[in-house]
This record gives sequence, structure tokens and C-alpha cells, in this order.
Amino acid sequence: MTMPISYALNKVLTAIARQHVLKEHLTDADLAGHDLTEAERAALKAGDVTSLYHLGANPYLIRRVFRARFRI
Amino acid sequence: MAQIVAAALASHAPLITGRPEVSKPEQRDRLYAGFHELRRRFAAARPDLIVMLVNDHLQNFPYSNMPAFCIGLAKAYDAPSPGGAGLMRIPPRKVAGAPEVGLALLESGLAAGFDFAYSYEIESWDELSVPLHFLEPEGKLPVMPVYTNCGAPPLPTPRRCHAVGGFVGGFIRSRPAAERIALVATGGISHWVGTPETGRINPEFDHRVLDHIARGDVEPLLDLTWADIERDAGNGGQEIRNWIALLGAVPGWKGEVLAYEPVAEWITGCATVWVHQ
Repeated sequence: MTMPISYALNKVLTAIARQHVLKEHLTDADLAGHDLTEAERAALKAGDVTSLYHLGANPYLIRRVFRARFRI
Repeated sequence: MAQIVAAALASHAPLITGRPEVSKPEQRDRLYAGFHELRRRFAAARPDLIVMLVNDHLQNFPYSNMPAFCIGLAKAYDAPSPGGAGLMRIPPRKVAGAPEVGLALLESGLAAGFDFAYSYEIESWDELSVPLHFLEPEGKLPVMPVYTNCGAPPLPTPRRCHAVGGFVGGFIRSRPAAERIALVATGGISHWVGTPETGRINPEFDHRVLDHIARGDVEPLLDLTWADIERDAGNGGQEIRNWIALLGAVPGWKGEVLAYEPVAEWITGCATVWVHQ
């Protein structure tokens, strides 16, 4: 197993995914109370799906939340 | 004694029903024809319960509590839920569960060393909704799902999934009632979802898997590692664990591939397979 797993990222994305809403990027309000690194915060606030993947966010959650960021 | 009267493998993807118009008509028609033929055979087998081998997409099981194998004990399942219905363009509906059968499987498993988790409430996504939309559009048959972790690595090995499927098959056959049970495994084949390679499909891998299934030659699939599958079939391809579990439940049975289409617009290698003695 070589894939990184960030619990903090997945926790935020799970909370948003369960609202059944799509986002271009997350806001400070979305991230309030979550224990994230600076790189994680930046990627979430930018909706940077590639960085999120490499930082250890689950790709199903990335897709669920940031669907609008994908070409297809 | 209970019998396994039907066994089917079917890809699931929300866009199969959610965005039919973006696919190439000839591909869509061939795949839908495969689903319709599966439905025809399924109905002819007259099952009275569907055991579904499926996986969650982080819709239910969070990283705070991630089961490897989980039996659904709900009285009913959203298939789809109101939240998923828009994306899948399937009207929200509930299908009945079969919690008594699930509980019996759970207890039987625990006694035999298969330590399933269980859940009394599951919000299904495309893993139940899309295949059931084609196979059982009336939604009259009860469903008993077994969820395998295919989406949040580390994952159970294909060999273990095959053994769990074998246990489920043995459990079904040992039931005293004259039940007619259908097995349906969903998911796969190759697809990359939410990764930087989203949209990629690998037909070479898909044909290799389908050829093994058609020959009833399961053993090479059991040796696949997470890394093998991730490289050749993407994170979505990890869902072949469900298919492998079904093949474990019906030893010696072979697959007849009714349709295979690598549908780029649905970002999934899509197949329907009838599995028979």
C-alpha cells in the first residue's frame, strides 16, 4: 500500500458529500473546526482535485464534492 | 432446500442512467440490450430474493468506522435515495430488505469465522439502484446486500472476497426453506474515478477479466493485488472484488458475457454477464 490517507481531508469531504451539494471550492466556514494542514486547507479552498488526491483524499469523495471540476 | 436460481454480474455507474444522451448511441444500445437480456433471464428464473454483492462509495461508511464486509439488515433500502435520484435520473424509491436472512447470515458467519459487520441503515447509491433499475424495475423483490470495502484502501484481498462469497453461497444452499435466490454482483470493470486519470478505461484489462470469467478460470483473479488492479483497472476497478465474491458463491459456474462496452462518456468499462452452471 503506497497511497497516502488523510483522515482530516476525508472527514471534511464526507461531511460535505452527505449534504448532496456540489462545490467548486470550499470556504472557511466549511473548514471550521477541522484539523487540517496548510496544504490541505489550500487544496480544499482552491478545489484542486489533483492536489487533494496526492494529499490523501479519497477519490470517490473528491469526485462527489468537486464533480464540477472534472472534464467528464 | 434453497437454491441459487440466477447469478449475474453487472457494472454500476451513475451515468449509465443519469446521462444516457452523452454516450455513443451504438454503445448505449448494445449495453442496454445486455441489461435487458439479463433482465429477461432473471425474470425467467423466478427468484424471490436478491442477494447483492456490492460496495459503498463512502456514502455510508466513513473513515471513522470502515467495515471490510458488512451485511445489510435494513428493512428497506433507498434505491436510489432522494439525494442520488437527480444524478442517476431514477425516481427515488424504496426496495424491501430481508433482515431475517441477513441476520441468519451474520450469525452463521460469526460461528464459522467470517466476522461480518452489519448495518441497519444504508443509503444506497448506484451500487444497488442502477442494476436494480434494469433487472427489477418493479422493485417488488426483497434485497439483502453484502457490502465489501472496494473504495477505501486498504481493502480485503480478492482471495478473501472469494472465500466470503463461497461462504455466502454455502449459507444460501444450506437454508431449509424452498427459497429461490438470485445473486447479483455489481461494480467494475476498469474505471478511474476522482483520480487525476479520471475517465481512463482499460479494455485490455476488462477483456482479460471477462475471458477468465467466461472460462470459469477464477484462480488468476484471486492473485491480483491492490496495486495490480489500481495500475491496470483504476480505483474503480477495485470493485471486481464483488464479482470475485459472486464467483466464489457458485464454484465451477461460467460467465456468458452479454455485453461489454468501454463507455468513455460514462467513465466506465461496462459489462453485463450471466453466470451459469
